[in-house]
Amino acid sequence: MTAVADAAVRTSPHFPTDPPARRRRGTVRERFPGLALPALVWYAVFMIGPVVAMLVIAFLSWPGMLVTPSWAGLANFQTVFADETFWAAVRNSAVQIVVGLPVMIVLAFLLAFYVVQKPRGHGVLRYLLFIPALISAPATAMLFYTMLNPDGLVNGVLRPLGVEGTAWLADPSTALGAIIAVELWSGIGYSAVLIAARLDGVDGEIVQAARIDGAGDWRIAWRMYWPIAREFIGVVTMLQFLSLLFNSAQNVLLLTQGGPGTETTTLAYLIYQKAFVEADLGYSQAVGVILFVIGLIGMGTIRRVLRATH
Amino acid sequence: MARRTTALPLRDRIGSLTSGTLAWLYAALLLVPLYFFVVSAFKSNEQIFESPLTLPTDWDLSNVTTAIRQADLGLAVANSAITTVAALALTLLLALPASFALARSTGRAGKVVEGVFALGFLIPSFAALFPTFLLAAALGLFHTRTFVVFLLPATALPLSVVILTSFMRTIPRELEEAASMDGATSLQVLRQVYLPICVPGIATVLLLNFLSFWNAYLYPLILIGPDTAQRTIQVALPTLKVDAGTDYGVLMAGTLVTLLPVYLVYSVLQKQMQRALLSGAVKG
Repeated sequence: MTAVADAAVRTSPHFPTDPPARRRRGTVRERFPGLALPALVWYAVFMIGPVVAMLVIAFLSWPGMLVTPSWAGLANFQTVFADETFWAAVRNSAVQIVVGLPVMIVLAFLLAFYVVQKPRGHGVLRYLLFIPALISAPATAMLFYTMLNPDGLVNGVLRPLGVEGTAWLADPSTALGAIIAVELWSGIGYSAVLIAARLDGVDGEIVQAARIDGAGDWRIAWRMYWPIAREFIGVVTMLQFLSLLFNSAQNVLLLTQGGPGTETTTLAYLIYQKAFVEADLGYSQAVGVILFVIGLIGMGTIRRVLRATH
Repeated sequence: MARRTTALPLRDRIGSLTSGTLAWLYAALLLVPLYFFVVSAFKSNEQIFESPLTLPTDWDLSNVTTAIRQADLGLAVANSAITTVAALALTLLLALPASFALARSTGRAGKVVEGVFALGFLIPSFAALFPTFLLAAALGLFHTRTFVVFLLPATALPLSVVILTSFMRTIPRELEEAASMDGATSLQVLRQVYLPICVPGIATVLLLNFLSFWNAYLYPLILIGPDTAQRTIQVALPTLKVDAGTDYGVLMAGTLVTLLPVYLVYSVLQKQMQRALLSGAVKG
């Protein structure tokens, strides 16, 4: 309040004829964006509230909706860390990120690089690249469910080539790969259009000059475009990292329900499964907290690796 | 291109080949499944398995009508439309005044509030799905569309506020001061000065949120549940998949129905939609 009064005094010489009440209100409005309050409250109730509740529930023993929860301390975390399923989920999420993310970003960058050279058909290409971003997770999942079933399109194409396919989503050796493939399919296009939008801003004359000096595409892509767009690519990488880490639960739920066994149980899916299938609420939210921390560490790492170099 | 000579290092020649090959390979990987999916919507299981890539023998809509009847898709489309439109309206109602206030505020409080919204990009709202479900129950709104209409704008606020605020910052202060001189209140300034100029920004926010609201899956699944009178199209669609003996033609026909509204909007507003999707990464 004193700051507000101070400000009112300081600004008063500018509007000597204004009535004092009105002057103060104007200053308060400037200092505190009151019209932002409804949005802030809304956001706090529906977003921040549940996250805070998650942090609390992680420390409660709550084995089912109808049971009264009791304080558990770190017991949930001990259970989680002693659980083989949790470690399987860690491994699956790690594979998903370590394999999926670099492949997605590098391919998206190369695609974006190709598109901004404006080759023949680049308009068509740009139009197509947007399509996966328009399709919902259930629609994408149903499409892949149809293509990957034992009699589906993928095996139908492979058979004439002499390759015997499998039940991709049910075979323990291919299920996780199939989930990653679905994510790559929908993630590469969107990442590519985002990166292309950044590459479009690169000055064509420098590139032309480099070409005259005999630099080929490969060098222009990695030595010129990549460093220029590096920081923005970092932003796209973070976006896709969070999407892989959290939203993978939808694909897993729609396609494999974590199976066969625990082959496709990712951390995000484990949170869902423990909360809504097995009703082990403390466990579920403890994994939620762990995933939250992993998310922050991952973001920090990506930022460090892809920071602008200057 | 004409300047390229055979003297280029091998690596560079391979490089120019790979990015083009990759691009068209990915394009094919996008197109073939989409083609397969559209033609499958007009075929029976046998036809899909026997000849996955041939055109259907006749374009009859029996799969579509079966899908609509089996999963109550008509009702589901209506539910999705109601939820999406109401949530979009609520988002604007909350985000517009907030962005207006943030764009004009000069104090530290404004910076803090903006920071709080920007932090929202980091919040894994999905991990907190269970507490969200408790909140719905506590408000007596569990298994209703109403709660999802309340919740979706909250998930969209960070990006919407960031986009609209940066848009409103470009509006010169003089315009507003002129209006204030004439005795206009804040809300009048917002309505008469800011809104008309911000139409492109509002369009971006609307399109971006239209996509994410229409396509939302986990929230409606958990919070609205399986009741056919309330459930949205994204929740209804996967019910066409059954563990034994899915009719893939019907499943693809159902998928086609869920995609039509989005595809219609995309083909009419292609440029705006692309711009909207590009602003999805304005801030990390």
